[in-house]
Amino acid sequence: MAITKSRSIPAYAGQAYPITDHTFDVVVVGAGGAGLRATVGCSQAGLRTACISKVFPTRSHTVAAQGGVAASLGNMGKDTWQWHMYDTVKGSDWLGDQDAIEYLVRNAPAAVYELEHWGVPFSRTEDGRIYQRPFGGMTTEFGEGPPAQRTCAAADRTGHAMLHTLYGQALRYNTEFFIEYFAIDLIMDDDGVCRGVIALKLDDGTLHRFRSKMAIMATGGYGRAYFSATSAHTCTGDGGGMVLRAGLPLQDMEFVQFHPTGIYGAGCLITEGARGEGGYLTNSEGERFMERYAPSAKDLASRDVVSRSMTMEIRGGRGVGKNKDHIYLHLDHLDPKILHERLPGISESAKIFAGVDVTREPIPVLPTVHYNMGGIPTNFHGEVLTKVDGNPDTVVPGLMAIGEAACVSVHGANRLGSNSLIDLVVFGRAAGLRCAEIVTPGEKQPELPANSADLALTRLDKYRNAKGGTPTADLRGRMQKTMQDNCAVYRTGETLEEGHKQIHEVWAGITDIGTTDRSLIWNSDLIETLEFDNLITQAVVTMDSALNRPESRGAHAREDYPNRDDKDWMKHTLSWIDDEKRTVTLDDRPVHTYTLSNDIEYIKPKARVY
Amino acid sequence: MAEFNLPQNSRLVEGKAWPKPAGASKLTEFKIYRWNPDDTENPRTDTYFVDREDCGPMVLDALIWIKSKIDPTLTFRRSCREGICGSCAMNMDGKNGLACTTGIDECGGTGKNSGRVAIYPLPHMPVIKDLVPDLTRFYAQHASIEPWLKTTSPAPEKEWAQEKGDREKLDGLYECILCACCSTSCPSYWWNGDRYLGPAALLQAYRWLIDSRDEATGERLDNLEDPFRLYRCHTIMNCANACPKGLNPAKAIAEVKKMMVTRQV
Amino acid sequence: MLSESSMRTPLARVRGLGSAKSGTGHFWLQRVTAVANVILTIIFLGVVIALVGKPYPAAIALLSHPLVAILMLLFVVSGAVHMRIGMQVVIEDYIHGEGAKIAAVMANTFFAIAIGAACVFALLKLSFGG
Repeated sequence: MAITKSRSIPAYAGQAYPITDHTFDVVVVGAGGAGLRATVGCSQAGLRTACISKVFPTRSHTVAAQGGVAASLGNMGKDTWQWHMYDTVKGSDWLGDQDAIEYLVRNAPAAVYELEHWGVPFSRTEDGRIYQRPFGGMTTEFGEGPPAQRTCAAADRTGHAMLHTLYGQALRYNTEFFIEYFAIDLIMDDDGVCRGVIALKLDDGTLHRFRSKMAIMATGGYGRAYFSATSAHTCTGDGGGMVLRAGLPLQDMEFVQFHPTGIYGAGCLITEGARGEGGYLTNSEGERFMERYAPSAKDLASRDVVSRSMTMEIRGGRGVGKNKDHIYLHLDHLDPKILHERLPGISESAKIFAGVDVTREPIPVLPTVHYNMGGIPTNFHGEVLTKVDGNPDTVVPGLMAIGEAACVSVHGANRLGSNSLIDLVVFGRAAGLRCAEIVTPGEKQPELPANSADLALTRLDKYRNAKGGTPTADLRGRMQKTMQDNCAVYRTGETLEEGHKQIHEVWAGITDIGTTDRSLIWNSDLIETLEFDNLITQAVVTMDSALNRPESRGAHAREDYPNRDDKDWMKHTLSWIDDEKRTVTLDDRPVHTYTLSNDIEYIKPKARVY
Repeated sequence: MAEFNLPQNSRLVEGKAWPKPAGASKLTEFKIYRWNPDDTENPRTDTYFVDREDCGPMVLDALIWIKSKIDPTLTFRRSCREGICGSCAMNMDGKNGLACTTGIDECGGTGKNSGRVAIYPLPHMPVIKDLVPDLTRFYAQHASIEPWLKTTSPAPEKEWAQEKGDREKLDGLYECILCACCSTSCPSYWWNGDRYLGPAALLQAYRWLIDSRDEATGERLDNLEDPFRLYRCHTIMNCANACPKGLNPAKAIAEVKKMMVTRQV
Repeated sequence: MLSESSMRTPLARVRGLGSAKSGTGHFWLQRVTAVANVILTIIFLGVVIALVGKPYPAAIALLSHPLVAILMLLFVVSGAVHMRIGMQVVIEDYIHGEGAKIAAVMANTFFAIAIGAACVFALLKLSFGG
């Protein structure tokens, strides 16, 4: 599979762009929770590991995770991994692969203890153990019992505490960081093997070619394809974009999670832990409407359910505020001491971004794009998969993906809150273990193909010198608006058809893109354009995958197809692009309807009621 | 000796005044430091007018608005836009802070900057481009305090036990986002940043010193026992004033000094 | 001195020559002499006030009293020590050339000792009936 084509090498001040070469056993792209955990694992295994990141590690978006990390420690009452597995499968609306889910939940407690031993300042119970709080969709007794307290928390700054701790561990293991390097493209050889990545060093504008036995994509989600997202500005799904251009598929891209409680206007996140600690939602009539939609779990139903219910209320004319277009989240009935101890960060955010004192007033909130269940398809070792000759589990040699960038798939059609932080560390660790198995430290690597840098260089040069009439910001704005308007909480064939047309127009508009900054040092105009190029391809496959799925499952809710269709659609969507012709190809992959071990049976689909 | 004048090629000059956007009813003037490493020009301050009706309330919103609508070459770091990643630390109206949590209306300027928002990179750091400072040394200082849990006792099967009260001692310390607002506001760090670790690194040092699970307290104190690394703190308190997360590095440093004395006296 | 070359790693530059394993003594002494100075300065001011308008022999008489003499000696010594270490911090803050700094620190020490010695000599001379 040849994905790079011979092109003339572009000019850099009249010469070819100078390239610095590096050789590593493993190259990790991304330094968020998953990337750092994999980096530490590979370093521990004695592999020469590079970690490339476009931002300093503690700026990665893991830092913004608030509520916690799920693991059945049982510190607050009885809990088992089987219950956690059941909840995750149900949360995924039976689209999750149950072998991977079993791997996740069984390894979760050890992963949390490991984090604690590395120094994460978890909140504590009276007897000195890790404090765990209730979270949406987490139950006991296979959904029959009361809510589970399974989410381990460091106040409401769990992601921050984890990321800083993982960064500390990476320092401890003398990780070789390449900070503020922007990965442009993968190096794929003619046999379809990933041989490394090309990156641009921001502070001096030089190009760096990393040759490796294994490249691990830990690049996060692409939330910024939408107008209003809790995601950081840097969540541009660069790994997904690179993988698509390398001729590989992405999986389940239509499943985009809307977090029920983004601050109205600003989009900043208010953790689900706020409801876990007793917060509740009300409409304009002051009604706790979640009691109607989810009589048992109420405000702690899974996120897709709560977001849909909120949208129903707003559309029913029961939204709050001047335009009746949002909902209130109440914390004012909670003890200020508890708020101070367990939710200090969101108290601060609500003050800054909504001007609200949470001890007195409700917070105005709105469902906001939060997480991409879809991503680069992998097995539970983190190895990237593609479908070749009908085999849906063909491993792509030399390439792994973990974290939000990946689709293992443990989250299926809807992720449960606090399952992403555990996903990061469990599969970050799994990737490290797999590398230790299949990569020999210091192994001699063959020469790279002669055209290894062509794809990256061509794109870099094209966008750096782009003289079209549409600034990147305009195209990006159009993409974000299209996705927000046509591919949101509720979808219909009509909105998706229109969205499909519009988003392809935006994609075609890239031929007329224009940049202003021609420099090479910290050229953020260029970087934003490369990021847009990554975003738009993922936006397109998201829209097209959504249009293609005529059912409602998890976060993908179609008004014209309100029911789940297990007979025809209990399968993963795969999507490829042709970046030259700007076309999308869709296919599917069966859901793994088996577990990892005989310790638990396959959990059969049933109606999903909270 | 201390230098009183900037070198010739670092002196600020007046830059470009960009035209006001047409049809805007409420405008705010921004004066922004610009420096491009690719040419030989001196740094300058460019003037922009932001249409407040079309722009969010925070300084970061204004910078993004300028970059999107007026001048795509304006360069700054940003990521989470909710005050947790620490990317967009800069000097606004003479005070260090995060652009994403500083309201435009909180800045108004005084004296010759009255009515306009003046924006500069973090003070006393090498500038890479525009509002992007080089924080390499700052990060190395953080790494030098060895920010990880050190234990010798065999790790328990489950978590290390920690009393609630001991965990509470970490509050006000672990929340640091390494934005460098404190260190770059500290005159002592300006003068001796090569040897003084600065408030951010010392706050983190104390975060690990006071962690009840850590078994390397003595070793950590040994590493800090130095006239420059620790004792350049003269309790000027700019750090506590600058911290966008409301932390108090000066107090943490005082606690470290107390620990130093306690183990000797 | 160690190289400040940009080719050294940032961590090597930050670690520099390592921790001096001192500084607390200096810090503590500054606090101790500060407390001593508060008390001794009040006593010194008392002595000065007591002697306002008094003739020279009265001053000699008072300063010859062992208690007064000892307290005044302590005031001078504590003041000189405090002055020396305080000034050293100021020098270290502002003077960055290695040669100039060492010269200034030495000069500061010599100055403090000279001042202290002169005052001690004067006091002793007075109190022993010079």
